[in-house]
Order: sequence, then structure tokens, then C-alpha cells
Amino acid sequence: MKPFQVLRPTTLDAATDALSGSGIDASILAGGTDILGEVKEGTASPAALVDITGLQGLSEIQISQKDGASIGSLVALAQIETDLGIQEHYPALSQSAASVATPQIRNVGTLGGNLCQRPRCWYYRSPLFNCLKKGGDTCYAVQGLNKYHAIFGGDGCHIVHPSDTAVALTALNASIETFGDRGLRQTDISQFFVGPETNILSETALAPGEIVTRVVLPPAAGARSIYLKAKERQAYDFALVSVAASVTVEDSTITGARLALGGVAPVPYALPEVAAAMVGTPVSDVSPRDLGQLAVRDARPMTDNTYKMRLSSNLVARAVATLLK
Amino acid sequence: MNSVIGQSVPRRDLTGKLTGDAKYAADVQLPGMLAGKILRSPHAHATVVAVDTSAASELPGVYAIVTPFDVPDGNIAPDVPILDTEVRFVGDEVAAVAAEDEFIAQHALELIQVEYAQLPFVTDPRAAIEPGAPPVHAGGNLVGGEPIILERGNVEEGFAEADIILEDSFSTPAHSGAALEPRVAVASWDGDDLTVWKSSRGVHQDQLLLSLALGMPRDSVRVIGGAMGAGYGNKDETRLSVITAVLAQRAGRPVKIETTREEEIVAGRHRHGTFTTLKMGVKSDGTVTAVHAETIMDTGAYLSSGPGVVRRAGQGALYLYRCPNVRYDGYLTYTNTPSGGSYRALGAPQGHFALELIADRAAKAAGMDPVEFRLKNHVGPEGQPGERTTPANEIIDTQPLEGGIPFSSNGLRECIERGAEAFGWSDYSPSSEENLKRGKGMAILIYRGGPGGRSIARMRFEQDGTFTMISGVMDVGEGSSTVLPQIAAEALGVDYDQVAETLGDSAITPDSPITAGSTVTFSAGLAVKQAAEDLRSRLLSSASDVLDLPQSDLELDTSGIVSQSGRGLSFADLAERTGSVEVEASVSPGSTDFIVNSFGAHFAEVEVDTDTGAVRVLRYVAAHDSGRILNPRLAVNQVEGGVSQMLGFTLTEQMLTDPAHGATLNASFLEHKSPTILEYPDIEVIFADVIDPIGPYGAKALGEPPSVGVAPAVVNAIRDATSVEVLDLPATPDRILNLLAELEDGDA
Repeated sequence: MKPFQVLRPTTLDAATDALSGSGIDASILAGGTDILGEVKEGTASPAALVDITGLQGLSEIQISQKDGASIGSLVALAQIETDLGIQEHYPALSQSAASVATPQIRNVGTLGGNLCQRPRCWYYRSPLFNCLKKGGDTCYAVQGLNKYHAIFGGDGCHIVHPSDTAVALTALNASIETFGDRGLRQTDISQFFVGPETNILSETALAPGEIVTRVVLPPAAGARSIYLKAKERQAYDFALVSVAASVTVEDSTITGARLALGGVAPVPYALPEVAAAMVGTPVSDVSPRDLGQLAVRDARPMTDNTYKMRLSSNLVARAVATLLK
Repeated sequence: MNSVIGQSVPRRDLTGKLTGDAKYAADVQLPGMLAGKILRSPHAHATVVAVDTSAASELPGVYAIVTPFDVPDGNIAPDVPILDTEVRFVGDEVAAVAAEDEFIAQHALELIQVEYAQLPFVTDPRAAIEPGAPPVHAGGNLVGGEPIILERGNVEEGFAEADIILEDSFSTPAHSGAALEPRVAVASWDGDDLTVWKSSRGVHQDQLLLSLALGMPRDSVRVIGGAMGAGYGNKDETRLSVITAVLAQRAGRPVKIETTREEEIVAGRHRHGTFTTLKMGVKSDGTVTAVHAETIMDTGAYLSSGPGVVRRAGQGALYLYRCPNVRYDGYLTYTNTPSGGSYRALGAPQGHFALELIADRAAKAAGMDPVEFRLKNHVGPEGQPGERTTPANEIIDTQPLEGGIPFSSNGLRECIERGAEAFGWSDYSPSSEENLKRGKGMAILIYRGGPGGRSIARMRFEQDGTFTMISGVMDVGEGSSTVLPQIAAEALGVDYDQVAETLGDSAITPDSPITAGSTVTFSAGLAVKQAAEDLRSRLLSSASDVLDLPQSDLELDTSGIVSQSGRGLSFADLAERTGSVEVEASVSPGSTDFIVNSFGAHFAEVEVDTDTGAVRVLRYVAAHDSGRILNPRLAVNQVEGGVSQMLGFTLTEQMLTDPAHGATLNASFLEHKSPTILEYPDIEVIFADVIDPIGPYGAKALGEPPSVGVAPAVVNAIRDATSVEVLDLPATPDRILNLLAELEDGDA
């Protein structure tokens, strides 16, 4: 671990300035549950950490039936887990936050940090491997142990995106509000996360110095949602595979559907074909098993992770069946 | 007075550990103390050609550096020099630095330039013993040059008698004991005398090894154990403390090295990974006619306790079932991976996993219930058929091969019967939903333990009339600091609270064996009992002189010396006359007539989610014959702890090595997935009503046996629930899902 200084800006302008304008290599510090681990492991060695927890206005949850929801990026995962409005209107988000790590981590870990955390790939995290994501020229997972790696995408680099909330927010059609040099902007979540084919060194479309400020959700409008996460132990574990689904049913017919898988691709993996197959279908005609099969039709598993196809398929089927019950 | 034995007196170390008052090695603070850090090999196998420390030594705050080129001659073990110019696994020690603080030490490590010449390496123990494999050490990778082969009767004749033969191959992973306290050493010199504080499983052994490595008289080395954040048998590694001592000597100041979690997992000691093929022959009525097990065990880069562990992996196959014809072939192999070592039950869990899965198959093939099969075939009190070969007056090994020797006590049948009844085995009817399949499984076990090496204990009657029990053993968390005073109090005839204890400091305690092999209560306990009885006699004799009453009229109780006539002496009054009285007893525990072994039967109910491959252990019954239970609460803790810990071995824990590079990929609590409290099932603990004639107050070994039955009981239950049999541990969701897929493909 290298020594670093901690900066404590009190305005967004000062924060983004500290991150990109000062000329020193700086990273954001919020809950610290990811960046401090990276610093200790030596995966990251910033000269400065910019503590954004003093910024005003990033810690609120606002929900209305008409306008949807706005959740500040500094809201702790534990707050999202227990907020009654989120539980009622966006259960998938609440469930995804509840599934993260441990109570201690959820108490300090923030929504913004959960979205912007770095991958858990053990080759990326080990200082012994200079992998593609660190500027090297090899993805060691291809010839190595890849049980936890991607079955979709993985253009050269086979990480999976580790965030639980990102998967739920993908199914909930969220937008990510950010602040940077050019002021505030909103990005559709499908554009916020980028795969290695777009930027091997980052998992998001954030520009240098740009900070996630809020997550904005459209009104739930009667949609039901769910988040299911398969893991190897019940606490303190990332997803082997997770699924989030949001479904709207009117007059016994599906009128809206969005689904996404986690733990299978370098980004939260949206399933538009599954959604398309559902919309317009009478509930009684839906075959969850078939939809599960459809979800993994394009999968290209590696040596150790074929099981993720079956697991993804089963979780999609279970999510759909549960929502339509 | 009430007997102290059998009482759940509270742990001596409980309050200190709960309040934070307990002093661990990491809590030691000395004036001028420096922080040490170790530079570790990034290569699985390499020659260290050169080490340039010039930049590091110029860094302000750096006080000492040690490299393989300037280290004193000396060996920690026959295959482990203090530092070596050949490194044998990713994480092996290369050099070390002592500096003003940890950050400077870490920075200095980064400034050390090491030139390596990489060597070919091998990470798979099966490949390691193939011709042409890269040698990890000169002399080849098969330790000893040949397997250990142990045979009773003739196993081929046994298979010829069989109507049915079952055979399969199994594997178990390397996994870390995951002690909450990573290894720590503090070293401080006073002239030519060295004091070391360390997390230790045996201060006297550590003292001996330190003195040998550093070429010092043993008396010039003092090792202090302190409180332990668990050991599980593997805090026996002494390279860390020797390196710390060398740094402290060079710096002229005390040095502390605290390892990180990653270092603890990689450079500590873990349970050896194994590959086992096991073959069992049975008659159509279910009688076992032959058992043959072959285990290839990976000791990693260094030997550590490997030879003892590989032997123990065979004891189940050789001795659990009554059978005249059995054989075990054990191959211990070096590889370029982290070093295995002693970890709770040493090889027995690996061996029993294969044995007890095959036993279930044999039961099925013979048309028998698994419990019925065990009741028909388990080894009984009379021991194995055959002729005793140990000479008549010699102590019987606790891990014999020969037949013809009875057990001192054998409550295995009671464990099976009472365990099955408590579990509800015979009328079990699972409620399975579509994707949630429930099933039951069981396994039985045999374990050596109890009699250990020569044990010495002292009892002291202090000048103020109080008592102190003095033993050189370490309480690594199992509770000897509580149970040994209990034994002393019972033998003296006083209350538990009247006996203080002194443990774990080589300078002020008598030479003692390591806390290993489930021997402390039995062996140190016998020495403590003897010393306490001797002290009691001495005090009664002194009181007889003082009171001028025949000793036969006197009794020792909680108040002091009492007589039928009513005259007596308080302990304080007696002490005024006698002064301090110390007695020492030395015992060689064991029996010339009997095998002293412990037994158990485990039962598990599991639920398998066939959508996700997740296994939940719903309910667990662990029935044990560990002789008389001296402290029920501690004993139940031991069983619950062993079962919970081995759920990790069974379901989630494994050290994963990158095959192309040799690095351990998951050396963290996040990825070496030890179970959490959420995984722990409801565990019912049963103790057989056995009083052993050899052990202190009837006790036998308990610390390790609970670890032995968990994997086979749970995996047999998974098979009962799903029809898939996991042959390779841990039984992770990916493996279950792959097996379910194979099952469906087979059905299709």
C-alpha cells in the first residue's frame, strides 16, 4: 500500500476539480469498501482519495407515484434495503441491496460505489498478473481458472460486473445522473456500463473527474419486480449468477417486461429478446422454462463455467414464474 | 464435596477474549520495537540468483535486511533453511526487512531487486510423481522415494471372497484453517538470550526448533505463547519467528512481524489436498471382506507434518470396519504449491470421505440400509481379527495395523444407535418440493488421539496456601487452560476456582509436547492428575506431622485439611508451616494392553436446490465416544466447532492454484469461502456413556474427531436427496449443477 492524501471537498465543483483538475492521480472515496481494498491489495495506488461524503444533496431518497424515484449516490445500501418506498415500488432494487456482502458493508457502502466498484476477477485483483484490464496484453482467465468468469461478451477480457444493484437497476430502466466538467447529465443505464470492447480500463462511461450524483427511476406504474441471486454462501459473497426482472401485467396479458442477468458478462446483461418474447403474451401462455433457455441461447461458456448457463436459465425461469404467480 | 469433573465450569480465557483484555502475540509492545515485512516469491519455482538491497537499505527508517546470501546457516526443518536460494512456491520467503514502521518496511521490500532464474514447476501431485516431473527438492517428489504400504492379511484374498466389489476415485481440496489470528512473531534479544512471543501450538517445540536453527543453547531461547486466536494444529510454522529473530539481532532492536490474511493462507499451513481411490469387497449378505485405499497426498513445497498426515489418511480404511484383509498405499508428494501441515484431524477427513461414500454404496449393493450396514460391520470392542505383533510389555500404538488387540473402550455401536434414534433415521420421510430436494446421510469414524508423548506437569502449593497447576502445553483454543485445572482440582479435592494455571511459556513450565493430535486432555491431563495426587499426599503428610494425627485420619477438602476429630488446618496455616511445595510428575501415557481410540457417528439432513445447486444442511446429529466428558459445555463447543468448520471443507472452501503460473488465486476470506453463521445448521451433540479405563477420569480424545465425519455424512445426504454423488470436494453449486446435467443426459 502506498501512502495517499485525503481531500475533502464540500462542493461538486471542487470534487470534480480535485479528481481531474489537480493533475494528480485521484480516486473517489465514499464508503471505501472497494477502493480501500484495492489500495491495500496494490491494484490501485492513487496519490489522493477524494472523500465525497461531505457533499450536500447526494444522500436523499425521493419517491413519488407520478415522478418515480430519485436516489442519491451516497445513500447507503442498508438504507435502500430498508426503505419502505423502495420496498413497495422497486422490490428488485431493495432485494439486490439486501443481497450485498454483509451488514457492515451495507451500512457504509453506497449506491454510487456499488455501481462503480471494480471487478472481482482474481487475475485483475492479483499484483502477480498484469492482465488486459491493467494495461497488459493477456486475459489470464482464458487459460486459467474461470469458474466465476463471463459466459457472454468477454471481448478479450472475461470479467463479470460485480454489482448487484446494477442488475436490478437495469431491469428497472434506471438512468444515472452524473456531474463533471460539462455539468450534470443523465445516461441510460444501458449506456452507463461499458464492456472491454469500449474501454478495457473502465467498466463505466464516466469521464475523468465525473461523479455519480443520483440514480433516477421511472414510475413503477404497477410493474412487479424481483431480484434473485445465486451464491456459494449466504453472506459475504458475490453472485455466481443473479437475475432481475420487472414485469407489468394488464388484463392477464404481459404489457411490459425488462430482465437482466448479473455475474455473466462484463456489464449487467440485459435480456431484450426474453422481454420481447414476453410482451403481448397472455400470462397463461408463458413458459418460464422456455424463456430461461432463450436467455442463454447466445452464451459462450469457458472451461469452468458451463454451469452458469443452466444456473442463468433456471433463475430466469424462477423469476418469471414467481412474478407471474 | 461435589465432583469438579463433569461440570461445565466456565472457560478460563473467556472473559479476556470477550473484553479484549486477552494478550495475543500481536499485542506485545516493546520499547524501540520495529516492524518486519517479508518479501515473497512471485514464481512457483526459481533460483534466487542475486538480491540487490542497496536502495532498500538506504531508505530512512530501515534497520535490517536479511537475504538468502547473508542469512546465518541453519535449518528450521530438514528441508527448510532459514532462507534459501531456491524458492518453491508463489509466496515462499525470499528476504525480509525491519523498519521503523510497516509502511517503510513495505516500501523497502519494493526497493529490493531480486534476480530470479525460473525453474520448471509442478502443481499437481499426480503429475509430480510421474517420471520426468520437475523436482521440487533434490531427491525427487515422492517423499521417502516410495509409498507407505500397510497391509493386514491379504487384500487380494479378501477381494476373491467378495460377491460385490465397489471402487471409485475421490478428491479433496487444500483448505486453510482460517484461524482468526494470522501468524505473528515478536523477537527481542538481551545479549545472547532470545525471547520470542508467537502464536504457537507448542512453546517447547518452538524453543527447540529456534535454538537448532540459530545454533543456540536451548536454554538461551524463551518462547511465550500468550492467548491464541485459534490454531487448529497448524501454528507450528517457525520460519517466521526465526526470520524475526535474525532481523532483531541485526537491528539491535526488537522486531514484530504480523502476517496478513493472504500470507496466513498462502504461507501458513493448510489441510493437504488428496486424490484417493478406494475399493471395498463385500459378500452378498453385506459382510466386508476387503478394503484397499490408495491416497496421493500433496504436501506442497515443504514436508511439515506430511508423513504423519498421510499415514492417518489410511487409518479409516485399515481399522473402521472389522475385516481381516485390508491395505493402504499412501503417496506423499512435493509440489510447487503452498505447504500443507497439521490441520485438525490430519488426513482422517480425507480418508473417511472416500471410505464412507463407498460404504454407502456397499450397503446399497447388499440391499441394506446404511445404518444397518455399519452396525453389521463396524469394528467392535474386541478390535480387528489377527495376531498381535507388538511385544507384550510395549505400549500399543494408537494407530495400529495389526489385529488381535482390543480397544480400551469402544462406544461406536452406541454412537450409531443413539445418533440414528436422535436423528429419526428409520422413519425419516423428507418433504421435498419440486426444486428443493431433501435427503439424509450418515457416516461413522475412528480416530487415534489421547496418548501422546511423555508429559510433565507440576503442581505447586503456594506460600499463601493457594494452588497452581503448571504445564508447558498451549491452549490453542480447545480449552486446556480450563480442563487441566479441573483435573487438578478433582485430584486435589478442592474447587475449580482454587487452582490457578500457568501455561505456554518455555521458561517457567516443564517440557511438554505440542498441542496436537487430540492428546492434551488425555496426556497432559494424566500428568496433571498424577502431580495433583502426589501434592495431595505430600500435604496430607505434612499436616499429619503438624497436627500429630495419623495421615489416615486426615482429608483434604476445599477448606483445607480436616480430620474426623474436628481438628484441622486452613491451607494458609498449612502453608505457613510448609512454605511453597512443588511436585512434578512425568508420565508416558498409553496402554500395553489396549488400543485407545475415539469414535463417532454423524447424521445430516440436507436440502438441495436443484435450480441453483445450493446445498443447505438443515439438521445435524453428531454422536461421539470420547470417553467420559470432563466439561460438557466445552465438549459440545468442540463438536459444534468441528462440524461447522468442516462444512467449509465439504461445501465451499478450497485453495485454488493457477495452473499456468502456480499462484494461489483466492487467499482471502472473501474467496476462500469459510462458512458463516448463516450456514451453520442446528447441531445436536450426543456423547456415548463410556468411561475409558486408561484416560484421566475416563476421558479420551475429542478435539479432532468431530472433523472427520462431516464431509461423508453431508455428501451421502446430497446423494440421497438428488441421486448425484459428489466425488470431488467441495460440493459447490457448479459441481452439483454439472452432475445434475450429467444425470439428465444419462436419463435422456
